[in-house]
This record gives sequence, structure tokens and C-alpha cells, in this order.
Amino acid sequence: MGLSQNVVFGLVTGSYIAIAAIGFTLIYGIVNMINFAYGEYLTMGAFIGLLAVTMLPVPLPVAVLLAMAGGGVVSLVLARGFFTPINQTGPVPLLLTSIGLGIALRSAIRLVAGRSARYYDTDTVTYRFDSLPDLTVGSVDLLGGFFVTSEHLIVIGAAVVVFAVLHALLTRTDVGIAMRAMGDDESLARVRGIDTQRIRDSVWVLAGVLAGLAGVLIAIQTNVSSDTGFSHILQILSAAILGGAGSPYGAILGAYVIGLVLALSTAFLPSGLTGLSSAVAFVILVVVLLVKPSGIAGKEVREA
Amino acid sequence: MTAATGAAATAAATADPGSAGDGATAGDSGPDSIVFGQPGALTGAFDFLQPGVSQAADAAVSHINEAGGPLGAELEVIRRDTAVDPQEARSVTTQLVENDDADAIVGLFSSEINPLWNFLQDLQMPIVTPWPGSTFLDTRGGDKATPGDISDDEWVWRTVVGDTVHTGGSAVYALEQGFETLGIINGNTEGERSYVDGFLSVFEENGGSVAEQVEVELGGSSYQSALSRLFEADFDAFLVSMPQESAITALSDWSDGGYGRQPILSDTLAQQEVIDQVGSDLEGAWVAQPGRSGPSYDTFEGIYSEAGDAAINGWTPPSWDAVQVTALAIERAGDASPEAIQQNLGPVSRGDGTPVATFAEGKEALAAGEEITYQGAATPTTFTQHGNVFGTVSINTAQDGSFTETTQVSAEDVREYVAEGEY
Repeated sequence: MGLSQNVVFGLVTGSYIAIAAIGFTLIYGIVNMINFAYGEYLTMGAFIGLLAVTMLPVPLPVAVLLAMAGGGVVSLVLARGFFTPINQTGPVPLLLTSIGLGIALRSAIRLVAGRSARYYDTDTVTYRFDSLPDLTVGSVDLLGGFFVTSEHLIVIGAAVVVFAVLHALLTRTDVGIAMRAMGDDESLARVRGIDTQRIRDSVWVLAGVLAGLAGVLIAIQTNVSSDTGFSHILQILSAAILGGAGSPYGAILGAYVIGLVLALSTAFLPSGLTGLSSAVAFVILVVVLLVKPSGIAGKEVREA
Repeated sequence: MTAATGAAATAAATADPGSAGDGATAGDSGPDSIVFGQPGALTGAFDFLQPGVSQAADAAVSHINEAGGPLGAELEVIRRDTAVDPQEARSVTTQLVENDDADAIVGLFSSEINPLWNFLQDLQMPIVTPWPGSTFLDTRGGDKATPGDISDDEWVWRTVVGDTVHTGGSAVYALEQGFETLGIINGNTEGERSYVDGFLSVFEENGGSVAEQVEVELGGSSYQSALSRLFEADFDAFLVSMPQESAITALSDWSDGGYGRQPILSDTLAQQEVIDQVGSDLEGAWVAQPGRSGPSYDTFEGIYSEAGDAAINGWTPPSWDAVQVTALAIERAGDASPEAIQQNLGPVSRGDGTPVATFAEGKEALAAGEEITYQGAATPTTFTQHGNVFGTVSINTAQDGSFTETTQVSAEDVREYVAEGEY
């Protein structure tokens, strides 16, 4: 298989990281907090979807919508219950609260659902592209043959839809424009008559919706357990920082960089070092931040 | 003479001077109850194996109590969850010993024992466990063949064959099947590496070779890049050494990718969940597991099946054996102290004593003044000097939607590759 196969894998990984990282970075940019409990929102979304397909039962698309709605509700309720009351106390209490809340949520999920992994019952269809032109550079066939599965297409397709909707939201709607204004300067936005609390609530709901979607997308590829979100939070955080914290467009870019690095490093690291692909991704994160502390596209994209 | 004093007299007559069996008169001053602490995987990555292990321990306890109990006391198992986490295991073991007054421990996994080794030695509590496969224990544990002298002892015994044995069996079977070149995908934890190392030590020494080995982080959302790399190499079969959840992800990716070739799975993967999630592509995959061919397996199975409906897995008969042999050690010692148990585990499992299949038979023989040799369900339970057991290896193959035992690799065949004294 050529380079193209690993690019497909990287795009899939980058897609679900991107969807989650957008929500994470919106909270950072507009509410001005790093929410370490965000991973648990993914877990709850994945479990809501799983309950919907197994207990109601409903088709997967309906379950996805329920997971997104559930994620939005959970996010808003937790924000109103825990973060809004201490919003004025500064970033450190908010950070510590989010860490504590994350631990509590993970424990609660574990208590209810146990630690064992649960699986979505999906039928995978594989699409093969085996007859591509030979395009070899050095020893690497850049095209080669490759395959994608229906689950790959669902993840990539969902990401494309999310990006389009997000762009429309941020550029074409009053709420989106108000979010951008708050992200740039909250005081000025308030002076200009923006209801900042309403916008904050909107951000919490939007972040929860995206977390719910990302949770289901991860779960249909692998499984869902009480540790699903926790095991992905570092990738999400890294994507947000790499792209430029607070920038949704930057988070998308950062997510795909991380996804591709994870896939390509596994493919091309020397034997014996293949288990270090995550470490490679984090080394690249550090290197990028040393060169450009604002992230790859943070400031430039936010100004665009 | 009570049964207990008879046992004590036997022990005094046969154990080394100064050993347990010091004439304790359980009939007069024996304990009312004896507690075995069982750290278990009630949650966590191996929780799917715990129901069978718990049911076997509970069935053994019921059977032992029906036979009058060790030293006439009521035997009880107190089970606590470690989630196979070393720190939790340390806490749980301490709690079982300090708070629950356990007289012995009948649990703990490799990934708990290895990092806690010094702590467990300092505890000076016999740990007779059905779980650990780690090669770390090949030359650690047991009484060093001097049951009367505990100064050289290490306080861990296992009633399940170690990785060296069943990975050796797996490698022997692979070679018999004509697989000369392997691909390997394994997790980056000690247990997963240990499995691969054990396999390769026999496979490569006997002419096999490895075309490609890809190590991966566990808990990943996808292993497709690793598989893509692995299957660029040319090999006959590929070995998967990963815990169940990660293995299901990897094998599902393998199935989606249509890579084909023969899968060989590590010992914990002979689970229905694996077949259910991966699907029919897994047909023909096989797993080498600790055998279920101890001399008293049928006796165990009859009692076990009446105790509940948990499925038997590779660690279920060893759980039965752990409780049985520990109770017999107490009976022989006439004393339930940790030292007495430690000193009598070897004598009730080895030698030319009367073969006994259960505690009931052993209690009767000891009362009659005989020495005994416990014949286990998983293996003969003849403890080596390092507290290990040796037995056949069971080959379970995915057929028609479930794993079925298709053949066994005899203990003699595996023994050719595992030197005496080094296991």
C-alpha cells in the first residue's frame, strides 16, 4: 500500500479530532477556560447514542442527533451548575473545577456503565481503489492502492458538514458574529450591546453538540467505555494549541496535522519505535510552538 | 484424635524439623473461620474473565466447607476489586490482610505482582494465584524445594501455567502447522511484550523467523496504519498480543482492510466477544491457552457447573486449584498461619503421597495419617521449586462463530523447550 492509504487513515483520525477540537477551542476562545472535563462530554455523547440504538432502538442517524442534543444539554447544564458561578474568579479555579468535574463525571459513568467497552452494531462496507497510476518517489508509491470503509466516509463526511455549518454560523449568523466579537474583545462586545451570557450559553451548547458527535464517531469505529473521552483529551488539546488556541479554523488544521503525523509516523518509524507515534505528534507540537507560540494558524486565521 | 490433629501429626512427622505442622491442635484451639482474600478484576480490562474465576473460587469454598472446612473452620473468600491496577492492588491487598484478616491471598495478576514484588515479599503472606503468566515469575516464587526453610522462600505461587509454557505451546503448534515466518502486532506493555518474547524464544530457536513486528500503543482508536505497515511484509501468519478491547479494534481494522492470512491470538483473546465484534473473517484463528487437562478436571467441572452459569475460561480451573491446594496446605499444617501455609504448599502438591482430587479426599487421607499429592483441575498442580505448575496447552480455534478446543500440545512436547530449573 502506498502513502495514500496512510493519508486516508490520517484524515479519518484528524476528522474526529477536529470536530471535538472545535468545541474545545471555542470554549477556550470565548469563555476563556481550558475545560479538561470536555473529554467526558464525548463519552457521554457516545453512551447516549449507544443507548438510543440499543434501547429505543432508533437508526444510527437519529442516535447521532440524540447524542448531539444530549451533549449540548449536558454541556449547558454543567456550565450553569459549575463554571458560570465561578466565572469571575479567574482561570485557575475554572481549570481546577474542570479537572475535578472530569474526574467526577468519569467515575459516575464508570459507576453506571462499568469499565468494559461497549460496541455499536454497525455493518462496515469497504470500498477499494486498487488501480491507480504508479506514482513512485524514491521507494514510496505516493498513490498505490487504498481502501476506505463506510465508517471512514461517515467520519470524513461528518467533518466536512461540520466545517461548512461552522463557517456559515461564524460568518453568516448574528450569534456567530457575536461569538467572534467576544473572542476578540469581550468588553467591547458587551459595550456594543451583545448579550455575552447568551453567547456563552450558545458556545457551551455548540461545544457539547460537537462533543456528542465526536464521541459517536469515535465509538462507531472502535468502542465506547468510561475512558473514551479521557484517552482522547490530549489529542484534542494538542490540536487546539497546535492550530492556535481559541481559533476554530486553527483547531481544524491542528487536528489534521496530528492525525496525519500519527498515521505516517506509525508507517515510517524504524521497527522497534512504532509504539511512539503519539510521542512524535507531541514532539512536533512542541517544535511548532517553539517556532510559533501562537500556533500554526492562530492569529492569522482569526484575523481573516 | 481429630482430623486436624491427625493432619498436624502427619505434618510433624514428614516436614522438615522446625517446619509448620508443629502440633497445633485445631480441634481444641483452631480458628472458627479462615479467610482467603481474593483481589480480582471485578472491573477493568480483564473483567470479562472474572466471573469464571469467582465462580470457581466460590464453588471450591462451598465444597471445602461441605467437607468440614480446613481444621474444622468455616472457609470464606473475601473478594475485592483491583481493576488490574498495581496501586489499587497494593491498597486492596493491604486491606485484605490488615482489615479482613486474610490468612492467604488467592489472586493478583502479573501486572500487579511484578511492580509490587518487594512489597509482597515484605508482606510475608502466601499468594497462590490463578492469574499470572509473566515470565518474571519463572524463577521467582515458591519454596525453592526446601519447604521447612522459609528463609529462602518467595511468597508467590501460581496454579496457572506461565507464558513460557503456553506461548511455547503456541509456538510449537505454529511450527507444526508449517508457519515459518511471522508478522507480529503487539501492545507496548510488559504483559504483551512478555507474551511475544515467550513465543519467539521457542519459535525462533526452532527455525521460525519474524518478518515484521509492529508495536502499538494500547487504547487507540485505530490500528490501521500499524496493520498497513505490518502487511507490507511477507509472512505466513501473524501474532496478535493485545488486551481484548484493543485487539478487537485491531482485528476489526484487519477485517475491514481485507488483509487475510492466518491470525494467532494471545491467550486472553479466546472470548466470544472477540468473534462477535470481529465477525466471520476470524474463522480459523487460534489461541493457545493454559490447559484444562488436570487429572481432576472432570471432578472440578461437575461441581463447578452446579455452582452457576459462568463460562469456563483458561483461568477458571486454576482458580479452583488455588483455593483447593491452599486449604489442603492448612489442613496438613494443622495451622492457618501464613508461615504454615507457605511451608505446606509444596508438600501437599509434590511427591508420592496419596493422589487426591479434592479437599474432601485430602482431608480424609490426612486424617488417616497419609501424605497427599493434590491432583489439580488445570494441571497436576505439582509446584516446581519456583512455585510454578506445568501442564498441557490447549489450542482453541474460532469455528462456526465460537472458540472450540481443537487440540492440545502435551506438556512433554513443551517441556523440551523449557529447561528444568529455569521455570
